[in-house]
Amino acid sequence: MTTTDATGVAAAHEDVRSPLREFWRKFRRNRTAMAAGLCLLLLAVAAVAAPWIAPYDPAAFDYDRILEGPSVDHWVGTDAYGRDILSRILWGARISLSVGLLSVLLGGVAGVALGLVAGFRGGWIDSLIMRICDVLLAFPGILLAIGIVAILGPGIDNVIYAVAIFSVPVFARLVRGSTLALKRAVYVDAARAIGVRDRLLMVRHILPGTLPSVIVYVSMRIGTSILTAASLSFIGLGAQPPSPEWGAMLADGRSYIGVASHVTFYPGLAIFLTVLAFNLLGDGLRDALDPKLR
Amino acid sequence: MTRFALPLLAGLLAGTALAGPAFAAKDLVVGMPDNITTLDPADINDTLSQSASRTMLQGLFGFDKDMKLVPLLAESFTVNDTATEYTYRLRKNVVFHDGTPFNAQAVKTSFDRLADPANRLKRQSLLAMLAETVVVDDYTITLKLSQPFGALNNNLAHPGAMIHSPKALETYGKDIGRHPVGTGPYKFVSWEADTLKVEKNDKYWKQGLPKIDHVTLKSVPENGSRIAMLQTNEAQFIYPLPPEMVKMVEGNQALEIIDAPSIIARYVAMNTMKKPFNDPRVRQALNYAIDKNAYAKVVYRGYAGPLDSAIPSKLGFHVTQPSQYTYDLAKAKALLAEAGYPNGFEAEMFGRNSTNFIRGMQFVQQQLSQIGVKLTVTPLEAGVETARVWGVEKPEDATVQMQYGGWSASTGDADWGLRPLLWGKGFPPKFFNVAYYKNDTVDAAIETGIATADTAKRAEAYRVAQEQIWKDAPWIFLGVENLLAGKSKKLTGFYYVADGGLQMEEADLQ
Repeated sequence: MTTTDATGVAAAHEDVRSPLREFWRKFRRNRTAMAAGLCLLLLAVAAVAAPWIAPYDPAAFDYDRILEGPSVDHWVGTDAYGRDILSRILWGARISLSVGLLSVLLGGVAGVALGLVAGFRGGWIDSLIMRICDVLLAFPGILLAIGIVAILGPGIDNVIYAVAIFSVPVFARLVRGSTLALKRAVYVDAARAIGVRDRLLMVRHILPGTLPSVIVYVSMRIGTSILTAASLSFIGLGAQPPSPEWGAMLADGRSYIGVASHVTFYPGLAIFLTVLAFNLLGDGLRDALDPKLR
Repeated sequence: MTRFALPLLAGLLAGTALAGPAFAAKDLVVGMPDNITTLDPADINDTLSQSASRTMLQGLFGFDKDMKLVPLLAESFTVNDTATEYTYRLRKNVVFHDGTPFNAQAVKTSFDRLADPANRLKRQSLLAMLAETVVVDDYTITLKLSQPFGALNNNLAHPGAMIHSPKALETYGKDIGRHPVGTGPYKFVSWEADTLKVEKNDKYWKQGLPKIDHVTLKSVPENGSRIAMLQTNEAQFIYPLPPEMVKMVEGNQALEIIDAPSIIARYVAMNTMKKPFNDPRVRQALNYAIDKNAYAKVVYRGYAGPLDSAIPSKLGFHVTQPSQYTYDLAKAKALLAEAGYPNGFEAEMFGRNSTNFIRGMQFVQQQLSQIGVKLTVTPLEAGVETARVWGVEKPEDATVQMQYGGWSASTGDADWGLRPLLWGKGFPPKFFNVAYYKNDTVDAAIETGIATADTAKRAEAYRVAQEQIWKDAPWIFLGVENLLAGKSKKLTGFYYVADGGLQMEEADLQ
C-alpha cells in the first residue's frame, strides 16, 4: 500500500530533481563560486598543458637577460638566472596542484575512514582515535608539518605526507560528527533491522550521508595545503632548487625584492589567486550542498 | 600667536647652540651582519670578531689597508738561515689600557698561552711550531721554533697572535674574552649580546690618533635594516652590502659604496679519490664547462673577479696562470669523452645553505648540465656540514663528491692559502683538504715554502705548487668575490681590508 502511494506522489510531481541536479541548480546561481571554479579549471588545464603552452623551458637560463622586467619576450619578466618566470609559474602549477590534491586526498581518505569507524563503533576505539586527533590538532598546522618534514627529511614527496598527516584529524573529527547523527537515522535502523552487516552499513548507508561536508572541506583544504607546501618550500624544507615550485620561487626572489620585485610578485600572485579560488569554491559548494541553507 | 612665537624662537636658538659642531663628540656606529662570539682573539674563528678585537688589541705585526705586512709592536727583526730562530726588537713607551707597560715579558705571556695545546685555543695552530720564548732584555725577545717556518711574521700579524695585557690575563683568566685589555687605539667599554662599545685611548702610542671618541659595533643580521640604518645616518658604515642591494645605496648623495677585491676564493672542490673525479681530464673538463664571467654576473651581480690560480691575486706569492680554463663547451665535451664519459655522469654537490651559496650551486648545476653532468645540489646546515665533510676521520669514509666552498687566508700569505686546502697531509679532520688532493710535487713545494724565510726561495716554491695544482685542477676555479660595504661620505680613514676585516684606527668623521 505504501508502495503505490509513493509512486502516486512521484507521478504527480514529475519535476522532482535528483540531488545532483538540485546541487547544480543552486551552485550555478553563485556567480563568485562559478568564477572561482572556472579559474581553477583553467589553471588545471594550464598545468596539464604546461609542456606545450609554456613559452620557454623552465630551467633554460639566459645570463644576458637576468632580472628583466615584463616585456614582449618574457611576459612577466625573468629571474636571477634569466629564466622565464611565466614558464616557471605554469610548470609550478603542476607541482602546487598535485601537492594540494594528493595530500588532501591521502589525508581525506585516512581521516574519513578513521572518523567513520570512531563514530560508528564508539567506545574505546572512539576515545583512542579522537584523543590522538586532539593531540595532532593542538599543534598549529604549519608547525606540525615542519616537525614531520624535519623527521622525514626535506623534499616535495615528504611535504605531501606532512600535509596529509596534518589533514587527517580534521577530516576524522568532521566525519565522526556526521556519523554520530546518521547512525540514529531511521533508514539506518531499518537497514540494520533487515540484517545488513556493519561494514556494509558504514560504507553504503552512512558514508554517502557524510560526503557533502567532506566535499566542502576538501576544496577548502586544498587551498591550505598549497599554502603550507609553498611555505615549507620557502623555508627550504620542500621543493629543492631548481624546481619551479611557487614557494621556492618566492624564496629565490626574496633577496631581489628591492631591485626586481616582479621575481617575487608573480609567484606570490599565483599562490594568492589559487588559494583564494579554492576557498571561494568551497564557500559556493557549502551553500549549494548544505540542506539547512536555502 | 605672538605669545607662542617668542618662547619658540628662544627654544630654537638654544637648540642650535647646543647642537653646535664644535662641542659634538665624534661617535661612530658600525652595522655588522652577526654577533661577536668573543673578544679573545686567540680563541676567535670568525673575521667579524677579529675585526672587533682589532679595535683594542695589537700584535707584533699587522696588515695595512692593502694587506701588506707592517710592524706594529715590533720595530725590527732578525732570523737565522734555517728559519728556526727569530729575534724581535720591541717598540718602547707603549702601555696597555690598564697601565701595565708593554715589554718582552708581556709578549712571552701571550705567546706561551697561545702555543700551549692545554689551553685549547682555536688559534693554537698559529704558534704550534713554537718551542721556546726567550726574554733577552725588556725590549728584545727570541722565538725558537721546533721546525723551520718561513712565514712566522705573517702568522704573528694574524689577529689570533695579538698581545693581551699580562695583568688582565692574570686577573680574568678564562674570562679574558669578556674583558679585553690591549695596546690598541680604543679601550673596552661594554659588550652586550649584539652591541660592543669602545672609546678613545688617550694614551695611544701613535701621535694624533685615534680621532673618534666612541665607536659602537652593532649586529644587525637583516640586510634591509642594515641599509636603512645607513640611510638614516644611524650608522656610518655597514657591511656586507649584498650585491643585489647596491642600487639602493647608489642613489643617495650622502653615501658611497666600497667595492674592492678580496682574498676570498670561491671554488668547488672535487674528491680526487672518487670516480669519476680521480681522472684529471674530468676535472679539467668541468673547469672548461663553466663561464666564469657569467658566474660573477649571476652570483655576485658583477662584483667579483676571476680566480686565476689556486690562490687569489691579493695573497703573497700569487702567480697568474698562463693557460686559463676559458669557457669552451666543445673542449669540455671532448675531454669528458676522452676520459670515458661521453654522455656525462651524475654527482652530488654539498655546500652551505645560505642564499648566496645556494645561488652559486644552482649556477654550477646549470652550467654543468650543458655537458651532460647532472648534479644534485644538497645545501647543508653548518652543523651537518661539519659532521659530513670536515669531521670525517678517514678519506675512504668520505661521502663528499663535490663541495662548493670558499676560503679566506687571513695571514695574507700563500702558505695559509694552500697548506690547509691542498696539502697531501691536510685531509680532514686535520685541515680542510676536502678534494683529498695529494701530489708529491705540490707537497714538497708547500713544505719548502714554509721551511725558509728567504723570499726568493719561497716565491719559487709557491710558483711550482700553483702551476702543478692548476694543471691537476682538484677544484673548479670559480672566482674571487669583491668586498662590498656602504659608508657615509663623512667617514674617512676607515678601511675594509681584503680578508673581510675592518680597520678603524685612522677613522674620522667630518
